Amino acid sequence: MQRLNFEPVLTGKKEAALRSDVRRFLAAQGAFSPGEVIDSWSVCNPEFSRLIAAEGWLGMTWPKEYGGGGRSYLERYVVIEELLAAGAPVGAHWVADRQSGPLLLRFGTEEQRQYFLPKIVRGECFFAIGMSEANSGSDLASIKTRAERVDGGWLVNGSKIWTSWAHVCQQMITLCRTEAPTKDRHAGLSQFIIDLSHEGVTINPIKNMAGEEHFNEIFFDNVFVPDTRVIGEVNQGWSQVMAELAFERSGPERFLSSYQLLEAAIEILRAKDLQQYSATIIGQFTARLMVLRQMSLSVANQLQQGKLPVNEASVVKDLGTSFEQELPDALRLILSTEARLDAKQGVERLLSDAILKSPSFSLRGGTREILRGIIARGLGLR
Amino acid sequence: MNELVTLVEESATRLFKDFSESDAYDLLESGVFPTQLWKDFLADGWLRTTLAEKDDGAGLGLVGGYVLMRLAGYHSAPLPIMESLLSLHLLSEAGLPITDDLFVPVVLDNEQVGGNVPMTGVPWAHNAAGLVVIFTFNEITHINLIPSKNYTVTTSQNMAGEPRDNVQLNVNPLNGAEQLKDITTSQISSWLALGKSVMTAGALQRVIERTVEYANERSQFGRQIGKFQAVQQQLAVQAEMTSAANCAVDAAINHLGTAQEWELIACAKITTAEAAGYAAKTAHAVHAAIGFTHEYPLQLSTRRLWSWRDEYGNEQEWSTRLGNHVIESNTDGLWPWLTTQTGE
Repeated sequence: MQRLNFEPVLTGKKEAALRSDVRRFLAAQGAFSPGEVIDSWSVCNPEFSRLIAAEGWLGMTWPKEYGGGGRSYLERYVVIEELLAAGAPVGAHWVADRQSGPLLLRFGTEEQRQYFLPKIVRGECFFAIGMSEANSGSDLASIKTRAERVDGGWLVNGSKIWTSWAHVCQQMITLCRTEAPTKDRHAGLSQFIIDLSHEGVTINPIKNMAGEEHFNEIFFDNVFVPDTRVIGEVNQGWSQVMAELAFERSGPERFLSSYQLLEAAIEILRAKDLQQYSATIIGQFTARLMVLRQMSLSVANQLQQGKLPVNEASVVKDLGTSFEQELPDALRLILSTEARLDAKQGVERLLSDAILKSPSFSLRGGTREILRGIIARGLGLR
Repeated sequence: MNELVTLVEESATRLFKDFSESDAYDLLESGVFPTQLWKDFLADGWLRTTLAEKDDGAGLGLVGGYVLMRLAGYHSAPLPIMESLLSLHLLSEAGLPITDDLFVPVVLDNEQVGGNVPMTGVPWAHNAAGLVVIFTFNEITHINLIPSKNYTVTTSQNMAGEPRDNVQLNVNPLNGAEQLKDITTSQISSWLALGKSVMTAGALQRVIERTVEYANERSQFGRQIGKFQAVQQQLAVQAEMTSAANCAVDAAINHLGTAQEWELIACAKITTAEAAGYAAKTAHAVHAAIGFTHEYPLQLSTRRLWSWRDEYGNEQEWSTRLGNHVIESNTDGLWPWLTTQTGE
């Protein structure tokens, strides 16, 4: 059996200095809106993203020739965990910084890198994810959106759904079928960069049950995509998507989505007579959080070493999203309060947001069952 | 730590493999000390793993000791490895003479220092030449090596058949005790808990390996049972919890000697103990009836997992301690505290 690798890593003085910089920056921003601190990486605020960009905290790990910071994955880790823990609204640039940029660095053409990466780094270009379709969720290989060869490029027809912030983003990396399905279901898929302002693109908002309108259904009607906007190899989209997911699945956003509630709960418990049961719950969740952080740091360090720890990333996401989903459920019992949808602040509001948003935590980026299937394959069971 | 791990694993694995092919488990459970195995262990010099080279030690420190204990846990070694290593380490810290005798560490609570209160669950007491007794008196850590003639033992066993005896001291532990500088009783308690955590982490790794192997061998309904999604999903979770346990233990070992030592050990004990229950239950479910037999070796690991998760504090006790610590002592907030658990 192949062992999962979570070789420990310690951050050092360089990371500590950077952490202080981020904390100073955050202190200057003041408190974020209490209604936006739960799952703050789904809160889109382009202005805030440009502030982050001005600090040099977008594209941190990318080479300097593309405007990147030339810094390590551990340094990036420190910045994003500080922003997430503070509940900063980082949703606008999140996908571009986390996965689209790294994907272009790995598989994109030189022209694509030179054109897109500096724009992402400046906070001027946001990316949406074009994978799921109405009839293709977990079974991604069954997508129907197709791109057909035409003179000088491709004609895209079909639709994508659950595309977060597509109505704000400029670009979407879109997975399309470029050959009819064969026995090898994963063959014949390709990735395209589609300009969302292009003729033939229609974006319809979908309101979620927590009252937000961040995701959409998006339609492509004979959208022309030039050859220069194909990512990597035609028909090799599947393996590229799998590589993209290693970046997507292991970061601290996979366990910090409801973190602000934990801090608020501890403040309240500190002020009142502590029940032993409450201390036990806080201890349990603190231990889980501490260990998740070590695991996620280890994966970041492996990405730094040029590895693609797909199985380990799946482990972090499955354990992490369980943590962030179970946290509000456990805390509501010791806080003995009722959640309030319209509270302006306080744990009543945080509980409401955390509970209502939590179903999505384990759906986005691959469901539990898909992740466990990947882990089982890594164990040698499939 | 990696080179150290490789070094210890390469040299100790053969010894431990010999253990698992012997009849030592049955002997141990019938109350007989595996003398030959212990001699082999001593002959290879493992007892002095943590000691400095000037004390004829291997110079690997506590870190090396824990690496060896994790391996012992992986192989279900039927010897008092954790107990003897940590005893010797404490004796050496106190500047007391070092011998090859078996000593067992015991931390006394305040009541046991003053009164005639019996001790329960003392590992391997009836096999030991003496107890290394640790306690706090007048806010000072004390250590006392009490030879076996000065206490009475009633034998008992944990669920794995390992000796966990009841001991009545016939002397006052204060008589002849020496001060132990720069180490607190609570720190030593946490070192014992870490010992059990690393052994649990090793056993967890062994159990997932055995279970995956079995799921790939055993066929029902015309295919290997590991091909069924229902089985795969359970094994994936078991692997996740095993990974978390091993990562927690690594982090705790990496923070030995730092200000965060106790906190990371608490996390390690909680994480390993939680994983122990899930892993044992899942491994037995996958192995079905064969795993329930005495003959099949799965029980060597799972009975230890069930025992070890309780020893030196179960996950609930450690969670309560950690929770109180977090709530009471961190007025600056949880986050700055969490993020200092590194080399920064």
